[in-house]
Amino acid sequence: MNTTVTQDMSFLHLITSASLPVQLVMLILVMMSFLSWWYIFRKLFVIRSEVNRTDEFEDVFWRGADLNALYQRAASSRYESGSLERIFAAGFGEFNKHPAGSDTEAVMESTRRAMRATYQREMDRLESHLSFLATVGSVSPYVGLLGTVWGIMNSFRSLSSVAQATIAHVAPGIAEALIATAMGLFAAIPAVVAYNRYATAIDRLSTRFESFMEELSNVLQRRSIR
Amino acid sequence: MSISALRNPSDSEPKKILSGALALFVHVMFIAMMVFGVNWKNHPPEGMVVELWSELPKPISTPVTPAKPSKPIPPAEPVKPKPVEPPKREEQVKPEPIKPTPQPKEVTSIVKKPEIELKQKPEPVKEIKPDLEELKKKEEAEKLKKLEEQKKEQEQKKELEQKKELEKKKALEQQKEIEKQKELQKQQELQKQKELAAQKQKEQEAKARREAEAQRAAQQAAARNQLASEIGKYKALILAKIRSRIVMPPDLPGNPVVEFKVTLLPGGDILDVRLSKSSGHAAFDSAVERAIFLSKPLPLPPDPALFNEFRNLNITVHYRE
Repeated sequence: MNTTVTQDMSFLHLITSASLPVQLVMLILVMMSFLSWWYIFRKLFVIRSEVNRTDEFEDVFWRGADLNALYQRAASSRYESGSLERIFAAGFGEFNKHPAGSDTEAVMESTRRAMRATYQREMDRLESHLSFLATVGSVSPYVGLLGTVWGIMNSFRSLSSVAQATIAHVAPGIAEALIATAMGLFAAIPAVVAYNRYATAIDRLSTRFESFMEELSNVLQRRSIR
Repeated sequence: MSISALRNPSDSEPKKILSGALALFVHVMFIAMMVFGVNWKNHPPEGMVVELWSELPKPISTPVTPAKPSKPIPPAEPVKPKPVEPPKREEQVKPEPIKPTPQPKEVTSIVKKPEIELKQKPEPVKEIKPDLEELKKKEEAEKLKKLEEQKKEQEQKKELEQKKELEKKKALEQQKEIEKQKELQKQQELQKQKELAAQKQKEQEAKARREAEAQRAAQQAAARNQLASEIGKYKALILAKIRSRIVMPPDLPGNPVVEFKVTLLPGGDILDVRLSKSSGHAAFDSAVERAIFLSKPLPLPPDPALFNEFRNLNITVHYRE
């Protein structure tokens, strides 16, 4: 009795005494969790800076700054430009490439295409690794569950060799198995929350980009007609 | 002008390392929470260390008992240290509660006595020696040039005195030994008395237990009797009800007996009726069977615990009562 009661139930002991498949599952989960948290922080910084720069650029643009000056700053200067700035630079650069007096429709078409290409590239950059967060969020609970089921299977199998079954025989095995589920949930919950947050933030950014593109093409069209 | 030139290379991924460090920090926090935050170790109840005291007031009573025999011996001084020591020894002994009371007493008493003796012996010797020395000095001052014979005589005297003292000591020791023996005897008597008392107690307890058991048995028997009478009563009721519904076939020879095995449901419904012993007259058998079915809600005792007695009923019907 005493041996079962005073069993070492410390966290590290539970992990080290777990069976190999459970340990593997735990390792995978720790790696997934670490990667997802890494991406969570990276995306957090990227999206936050993107939102700030977009605010800044829209502010500057609608205050009626000189388009040529803005283009010079976005294209030539090596300062950290935002996505919106790059879209503007692509569109304005394409617009300027056409000689004055050329067909307005054709110029606007090519300008819009250039802006759309940059927009898509920027969106891709912003959305990169988001799918990883989604995967971690949906898969890691199952991986943890697999480890738990495996551990519980083992603990029950070891129970069959005991004449008198008490909860003390199963409890340590189940505890160490449940750690896998805990890890899976620890990896999944922040990943899901972050995915949803970032997806919304990127969605809002993309609508802002799109509306800016429309507005910029209007501005450019007026310029070309004049 | 290529668009890729617009791309700021340093912008591709800012704060990559910072994010990694933060992720690491989060995991370290998580592991720390799991290791220290959750109390994984279930502290076993430590087996509750309990000191079993077979008799409570021991520490008070023991210093008193050895004090009695020590009365004749010099006043309170040698007695004082005793009450301090014995409780300690007893405490040390007590955690082993299996061999209870008598032992600690013996230990204390035996250990104490030598102390008393030791303290007593040296005292008389010291008192007498200074006397002798004073005498010597006087003699020396008065009779400095006396002969050695006289000294020898004095020495002889001294020896004699010493012998006397020794004898006295021996007598004292003997007295003490006698006292010791008396003490031992007293203690033994006390032990015997205690043992006797314990035996008496045990006997009394055993008696009480026996009486209680007898009472219980009597109660059980009474209850059983009651149950049996209840069962008998209802069996008779059932039989009477069935008898009242039998349409007896006329003019059967002798007194044929038919036995049925009836399986009942709670509530008195009949589940199954089986002929276990035919009377030899088919008309009588079928009449009884019909009567059993006719008396359908059979009277059952209201106590559902008794139903088990009625689940499988054997019903025996005689043609003539």
